[in-house]
Amino acid sequence: MRFILNLTRREIRSSWRRLLFFFLCIALGVGSVVALRSLIQNLTRAVGTDARALMTADVDISSTNDFTPTEISKIEAAVAESGIVDGRNETINTSSMARPSDPANAHVKLIELKGIEPPFPLVGDFVLDDGTPFDFSLLANNGAVVAKILLEDLNVQVGDKIHIGEGEFQIRGVFDEEPGGTGGFRLGARVFVEKKAFDDAGITRNAGRVRRRILYRTTDNPTELVGKLRESLKGTTLTVQSYRETQENLGEQFARTENYLSLTGLLILVLGGVGVWNVARAFVEQKRKSVAVLKCLGAGGGRIITVYLLQILTLGFLGSLFGVVLAQLALLFVRWRFVDALPAKMTYAVNFSTVVQGVTLGVLISLLFSALPLLQVRNIKPKLLLRDENNASIRRLDFTKWLFGALSLLGLLGLAVWQAGSVKVGAFFLGGLGATTAVLYLTALVLTRLLRRFRNIGPFALSQAVNSLYRPGNQTRIILLAVGLGAFVVLAVQSLQTNLVREFDFTRNQRLPSLFFVDIQKSQVEDIAKLIESHIGEKAETIPTVRARISHVNGEPFDFAQRETRQQQGQIGREFAVTYRAEMDNNESLLSGRWWNAEPGDVPEVSVEKEMAGILKISPGDSMTFDISGRKITARVANIRKLDLRNTRTAFVFVFRPGALEKAPQTFAATILKRTSATDRQRLQRDTLEAYPNVQIFDVADIVATVQRLVSNFVMAISFVGSFVILSGILILIGSIALTKSQRIYENAILKTLGAKRLTLTAILFAEYGLLGLLSGLIGDGFATILSYVVSRYVLNINWEFDPLLGVGGILVTALIVMIVGAAASFDVLFRKPLSTLRSQ
Amino acid sequence: MIQLIGVTKTVRSGTEDLTILSDVSIEIPEGQFVALTGASGSGKSTLLGLIAGLDAPSSGRISIDGDDITAMSEDGLAEIRSAKIGFVFQSFHLIPSLTAFENVLIPMEIRGIRDAGDRAAELLRDVDLTDRGHHYPAELSGGEQQRVAIARAFANHPKILLADEPTGNLDSKNGQHIFELMTGLHNQRAVTLVLVTHDHALAAEAQRQVILKDGRVESDVMSDG
Repeated sequence: MRFILNLTRREIRSSWRRLLFFFLCIALGVGSVVALRSLIQNLTRAVGTDARALMTADVDISSTNDFTPTEISKIEAAVAESGIVDGRNETINTSSMARPSDPANAHVKLIELKGIEPPFPLVGDFVLDDGTPFDFSLLANNGAVVAKILLEDLNVQVGDKIHIGEGEFQIRGVFDEEPGGTGGFRLGARVFVEKKAFDDAGITRNAGRVRRRILYRTTDNPTELVGKLRESLKGTTLTVQSYRETQENLGEQFARTENYLSLTGLLILVLGGVGVWNVARAFVEQKRKSVAVLKCLGAGGGRIITVYLLQILTLGFLGSLFGVVLAQLALLFVRWRFVDALPAKMTYAVNFSTVVQGVTLGVLISLLFSALPLLQVRNIKPKLLLRDENNASIRRLDFTKWLFGALSLLGLLGLAVWQAGSVKVGAFFLGGLGATTAVLYLTALVLTRLLRRFRNIGPFALSQAVNSLYRPGNQTRIILLAVGLGAFVVLAVQSLQTNLVREFDFTRNQRLPSLFFVDIQKSQVEDIAKLIESHIGEKAETIPTVRARISHVNGEPFDFAQRETRQQQGQIGREFAVTYRAEMDNNESLLSGRWWNAEPGDVPEVSVEKEMAGILKISPGDSMTFDISGRKITARVANIRKLDLRNTRTAFVFVFRPGALEKAPQTFAATILKRTSATDRQRLQRDTLEAYPNVQIFDVADIVATVQRLVSNFVMAISFVGSFVILSGILILIGSIALTKSQRIYENAILKTLGAKRLTLTAILFAEYGLLGLLSGLIGDGFATILSYVVSRYVLNINWEFDPLLGVGGILVTALIVMIVGAAASFDVLFRKPLSTLRSQ
Repeated sequence: MIQLIGVTKTVRSGTEDLTILSDVSIEIPEGQFVALTGASGSGKSTLLGLIAGLDAPSSGRISIDGDDITAMSEDGLAEIRSAKIGFVFQSFHLIPSLTAFENVLIPMEIRGIRDAGDRAAELLRDVDLTDRGHHYPAELSGGEQQRVAIARAFANHPKILLADEPTGNLDSKNGQHIFELMTGLHNQRAVTLVLVTHDHALAAEAQRQVILKDGRVESDVMSDG
């Protein structure tokens, strides 16, 4: 043991430089895992750990209609019976338009208005920008407390007055983070007003999209109360939720996200593992003579393997620790780059549990990927000290190696399952990785075979470079695989981004409106159309909309006590904007059933969009009951319809046959296609709101900007992770260069002896790595293009266009990186004197 | 005592079998200094390697102190080498990642000898390298490297010292020095010394000269002295 420990220590002392890449491969992988896990855990803590604070209550009963007296009495009965409620309030919220009262200020902005009553919040804190706690008196007499961003949006200050709907409010306070706020996707800035003032502002009079909530704070576990409330409110459109269920859902979502992200980390770590494998192979190759000497001096193969294994594990451990440092740096980078997009409470330190997990993973990956190469030590015979025979037997795969190979694979599967938190996902990950690797490897094989045919064409340097790709023990396919994979990830993300951004570029999509007007009353339709026409010269298209909720499907109400149904609550329990018309839109196509003719039918009929039909498991002939302002309308499903979202003005999930909804309370939406300047759009909005304060206007440019910002952050985040994959690929490249370096030195010595000048050798070097880079780029770019096409067309349902700049640029940049890295790592070879090299052979 | 009975070694060269040693039988009593000579390719180094258990004969038997090493496992052979055999190579074969001192220390550590530092220092002193112990092989001259190799070979008090052209990579002055060092240690410690050499002058100093030709013993004579 003493011998093992002493030799390990000495070997590390002398070999650490050679194993630096090993160290870096592990560090990079562990860094990714720790950074990604810590990031998502910190995010979870910042937004989702306290579901009570998120809900600002323990029990939440919500509705998009006014609560009826019957509903209220049922709720109150259940609450009184439970005896655990010690606090109650009501809130009401909707989106609305805000504009400064100052006529000289032309700004106008969509906001998220929330009417509250004391005590607010029931759970959690509400602290204003200046650090003082929120005081309800700020809202008295039409006061408003607003999100800080609104001051910028409207160019106003605390103390200024703004119009919301028909009401006028004075800004009395500003906050960074609202109670229960997540900092997530939101179109407008949050504005708090008194609930009573909300009602007085006339916003609820006509508008849809209003959500009313009754919130309770309890002194005990509210699960039983929630069960009773659900039971007594069955058949109504109210939804009941307890913080425990929210917590459960959030916990599951975050855990799933964390596990999926960790698989990305694991992918980088596995790439690091490939690097480890390469370095370990090179290491054993370089140590052959030392191993033979040790065996000659009486050390057994097992002891020598233990020495090298200990060395690898030590470096794996130290590399993992360095990975933790890298992870911390990455988190600091995230704070620097994304702080605006992340919650204010978010922390940016790595978490101890993820550090332990990352280090364990790092050490295990070191072990799994170095075990097979280290087994070669067994086959090194001391006789090579007398006669260095071609150790053909070393490369042979024997039973032990098969066994260790299988064990390594099983170990890897274990790690994937552990990281994914699911056997299925873990196995799928490993299978997917295996399949991707196989496809990339096969492509690399075909490309190199093809290239070989051209080895005698072109100048000497080029044909030598091609020959170099086939030298004994070459790492060509491994390099193509590793670098190709990195290029594939980065280029696929870039290509998707290009297509996504293009899709949201409304100057290209002629059918995407520039302005949406909603909540227009029937009596206002003509006047508003005239106003629009006078401003921009376009006759707006108006569409009737009715707000409806699904009450029953085939006579059955939704049972939200069922977990599966509850998880779909957001999709099926919400309020829908539905319309009625005689014709199908030209962006719609029928999948099943028949479209109706213009005359009203005997019974109400409805057309359902295919995704929703899938969720509801309905087909033509089924019946659906809708709740429209408390009135139930049962309609027969006439057909299932597909929507082409790429070419659309509006997208209605439910369209009724004329005859059923004409008498229902309805508003109108108007769309404008004409592209006008921001000033013109603002002026039109302002003038419309002055005359018709109940109308809401969505400026598509604002939405597009928000979405583009999200897409850009998302792409930045993925590219950041993708760059780690590229970096792993480069490390593998450098490790592979080390593996074949002695061969290259020998070839160069011979070429020099035969009269090759340094310039020629330099040209060969650059040509070789240039070719490798070109092939890697071709492979990466080819598959990135395919993936981007498939995801764009079939997952995101957006148009796809090939971007020649990205395609050609991606290949060239990959080639350049590989050429520079490869040449830099091998440059010293050019300066070796041939005699000493040839003598030592 | 080293005993070789009917030892043959055949290796595969391309598609053909090549016989390196053919039916060699030699007996070397304890404490004898034997010089193995012969032309290049005559099988000298192979024979030495077989005695050290670095390779196995294709047929025949080799025994050391009565133990048949041809029947031993890799680990058993390693044990024999560690306990009884010291080896000096033409190309020194020091471990480049260890200092001179550590190279000498290694065989003792492999045997599990504690506090071997003093003995390593003593061995380095014996080969006149007291001040060079902390140097790595690359920082030593060829002669110095070979002295370290000799110190290493003597680390575990071997009964047998096998030397494969130990002066072959050295100039004549250094070669003479190394040779004197080995024969001096042989005399002091009464070890069996088997020396492979091309140098007739050095071979003449041995107690016995075995000449190999085409893998067979051509002559086996005791020196006059």
